[in-house]
Amino acid sequence: MSAEPTTLLQGTLDLLILKSLATGEMHGLGISRRIQQITGGTFLVKPGSLFPALHRMEEEGWTSSFWGDSENNRRAKYYRLTKAGRKQLEAESKRWGRISWAIAQALEAS
Amino acid sequence: MPLVAKARSFLRNLFFTRRAEEDLDQEVRSHLQMLIDENVRAGMGRGEAERAARLELGGTEQVKEQVREKRLGNGLHAVGSDCRFGLRQLRKNPGFTLTVVLTLALSVGANTAIFSLVNALLLKSLPYPHPERMGTIYTRITGSSGASDKRHNVNGEQWDLLRDNVPALTSAVSSGGTTGVNLKGGSHVGYVHDGRVSAHYLDVLGLQPLLGRNFSEDEDRPHGPKAAILSYSLWRNVFGADPGILGQSILLRSEPYTVVGVLPQGATTPLNADVYTPLQASREGEGRGTNFSCIIRLRDGVTWEEADAEINHTWLSRAGRYELTDNPGAKVNYHSVPLKKGQTDSLRPQVLALMVAAGFILLIACANLAGLTLVRMMRRTREVATRLALGASGWQIQRQFWIENLLLALVGGAFSVGVGFVALRELFLLLPEHFLPVASVPLDSRVMLFTLVISVLTSVLFGMLPALATRRVDLRSSMVHRSVAGVGSLRLRQGLIAGEVALTVMLLAGSGLLVRSLIHLETLPPGFHANGVMVEKASLDDVRYHDPATFRKLLDESTAAMRQIPGVENAAVGLNLPYEFTGNDWITLSDGKEAGHQGGVDWVYVTPGYFDTLEMPLLAGRVFTDADGPNAQHVIVVNQSFARKFYGGANPVGRYIDKDTLIVGEVADVPLSSGLDPVAPLETEETMYVPAAQVGGPLLALLHVWVQPNWIVRTAGRAEGLTAEMQRALEKADPNLPASGFYTMGDLLVRTLTMQRMEVALLGAMAALALLLSAVGIFALVANMVAERTREIGIRMALGSSIGRVMFEIGRSGVAASLFGVVLGLLLSAGALRVMQSVLYGVGVYDMTTSLFVILTLFAITLLATMLPTLRIARIDPARTLREE
Repeated sequence: MSAEPTTLLQGTLDLLILKSLATGEMHGLGISRRIQQITGGTFLVKPGSLFPALHRMEEEGWTSSFWGDSENNRRAKYYRLTKAGRKQLEAESKRWGRISWAIAQALEAS
Repeated sequence: MPLVAKARSFLRNLFFTRRAEEDLDQEVRSHLQMLIDENVRAGMGRGEAERAARLELGGTEQVKEQVREKRLGNGLHAVGSDCRFGLRQLRKNPGFTLTVVLTLALSVGANTAIFSLVNALLLKSLPYPHPERMGTIYTRITGSSGASDKRHNVNGEQWDLLRDNVPALTSAVSSGGTTGVNLKGGSHVGYVHDGRVSAHYLDVLGLQPLLGRNFSEDEDRPHGPKAAILSYSLWRNVFGADPGILGQSILLRSEPYTVVGVLPQGATTPLNADVYTPLQASREGEGRGTNFSCIIRLRDGVTWEEADAEINHTWLSRAGRYELTDNPGAKVNYHSVPLKKGQTDSLRPQVLALMVAAGFILLIACANLAGLTLVRMMRRTREVATRLALGASGWQIQRQFWIENLLLALVGGAFSVGVGFVALRELFLLLPEHFLPVASVPLDSRVMLFTLVISVLTSVLFGMLPALATRRVDLRSSMVHRSVAGVGSLRLRQGLIAGEVALTVMLLAGSGLLVRSLIHLETLPPGFHANGVMVEKASLDDVRYHDPATFRKLLDESTAAMRQIPGVENAAVGLNLPYEFTGNDWITLSDGKEAGHQGGVDWVYVTPGYFDTLEMPLLAGRVFTDADGPNAQHVIVVNQSFARKFYGGANPVGRYIDKDTLIVGEVADVPLSSGLDPVAPLETEETMYVPAAQVGGPLLALLHVWVQPNWIVRTAGRAEGLTAEMQRALEKADPNLPASGFYTMGDLLVRTLTMQRMEVALLGAMAALALLLSAVGIFALVANMVAERTREIGIRMALGSSIGRVMFEIGRSGVAASLFGVVLGLLLSAGALRVMQSVLYGVGVYDMTTSLFVILTLFAITLLATMLPTLRIARIDPARTLREE
């Protein structure tokens, strides 16, 4: 059912969410739009993937949530990074850096 | 920290589902709102904005479901919701649920009841310390026609040797059963059960008296001091729990016994007596025969093999080897077996046979339930197809069915405990006291575990077949066709019915044979007239009646007083009555060409009125008169079997046995419980009747230890209400002689045939249950066919088929399955019921009457079970059925 079928992308989604939240607390739609923005529109995260990921990450203890008012005065659930979440972002970023470097090397090799 | 967060989420998901759900719902809805807001800001119209937002969201429910699947503890949660859904489904089909739960409750309940018997009799340890070190001794006889390996009672010589020459064991003996004696303690006069035991009896059992001590070896010597140990209940009920009871004297058998001990509360012994007295066994009197029951306890540091070697060494060197006299040329040796086994071996075949029968019931129930759930699954094809279409996986569907089956099994199992409890209670109402060699048959944790396992196993068994059968079903095509009950499923269901009918036939045939056997035993030619006879038993195990003159006076006065009771035609006394267990003696013929011939015969002392009171036909000679006194010619009356065995059927009157005893009469045979050569619970056997007045003192003393004589009266009309007057008449002759009980001849018959009646009742109940289940199975099969084929039936009737013809067509499937089952069952019975040979009397394993009864019963049940549902066909309105589609 998910639009991103591979495990690699699953990991990517986590990383992107963590990265979006690194700048501050955000609600679901905000995260979705932020990802769209920072990836130059490459990833369009649908709610069907976003919410399960958000809830899972909260259960992992990487994020915490609270209810607040949105910019348009709608009640919305906000997420923010926890300490564990920041650590996870660091680790994920490093891992991703290694992978992308390796892939780039592999593709450059003739 | 992450771990704590995880645990918190897990608990919240599990226990605060509602809050988590509300939270999720709000979050998704606010997300949707914000999407709409965004679209509106981008310049869309209200409607368009909403549609676009919904498109992007992809369905609120789906999003929520996706979140739920990712939640921690989701698996557990899903099972919970499956359970709730299952319960809802079961509530929606009360007919199905009730049928299944009732079937399970009855069939598993039967198993619970029977297993608790198996548990109590064969599995549970004896209630003594270190039961594994307790045993008894079996005699193994090989190399002769009478090969056997069973518990034997021992005689005085064997006991002496066992006690003195087998240091590996602590050994003890007791009387075979309890003796009814009269107790006088203070102002109390009553009838109690006396267990006569040797010195170390309580040591072998590992019982310590609450007060006082065990019997000393001195008290156990012949003519030793007379001591008594009281059971807790006797001490409390008769002696008011008097703490100063020790050293006091009580009167037993009209002799003073000194109380030396009181047993603790709840202490049981194999004898279960009210009071215990020293056996004082010797090689004389009682000890001449094998009249003692022995129990042993292995001493520390010794093995059973060493004990067996010692037993064999000392017993094989005996002077009198009665086993060899009885089985010439045989090899005899001895071995110890656990006491539990020794006490329950005789009941083991019956109990195991019952367990097998209960297993049959369970299989029958499984077959029924498999059929029912199969149909239910077929009916739910549309539901399943819908769920599949909505994205449920095959596993989720299967899980749902299994959970429903398990729920049914657990509910049924819970009810079955109640059924088992009631069944056991009914069983105990049927049983005479102390019939089972255990104090209680509890529904303990092992029985509960068994019930649980059986219930779950049943659900797996009856769930497996439908699960397998429906795995092949193409759900997509079944959506279109409405129904999937194809030929394959019908065949399968017919096969199940045939199987359960076959099992029912076996149970019915088995119980039919037992019933025939019981009828045979109960309708043996009585040889006397049982109606109008009332029996009073009283214990003459009393030192005063060791004197023949006092004994004669008691008999004369009491029978004379009983004859005075209005309505009483005749009164007499006899040591034994027809239907009772009868003692025996060894005789030698003294004259004619048979002189020197020997043989065992049953032996009964009677007063002169005995034959007239029982109305036993006199075939030759005369019966006893008052002239046959102690100093007159010793005379006997024999029965027909006696004359046939010893004189080839010639008139025995005028012949002599044992040198100087004259046969003066011949009477008809009566059925009795043989102590001589028991081949059936009731049989006729060579018997000699002796005038009570000619029995000597020592023999009287011995006989009355074992047997309580019977006072019998014959009345023309009333047999009830007579007992008080009989007791008054007896008290006129001896005010200190309480009755131990009053019986009709029918009561005595019932008492002797307890085991047979139990077998009939238990197996009969199982067969009836099997029959009921089979009827339900056939009914369900046909009823379902009618329901499934309503449309087809409508079309056929519209095309001109008669109702009768359609009923026949539909009913045929049930009848065919049942017929096949009957044939299969009869074939199986022919093989399997041969094991019943040993418990059948007067009827063979291949019994035409029984077979006919079985066939007709099943025929009737099948007809009924197919007719009832097909009657619905008559109510089918072809026009309406055709319009329905």
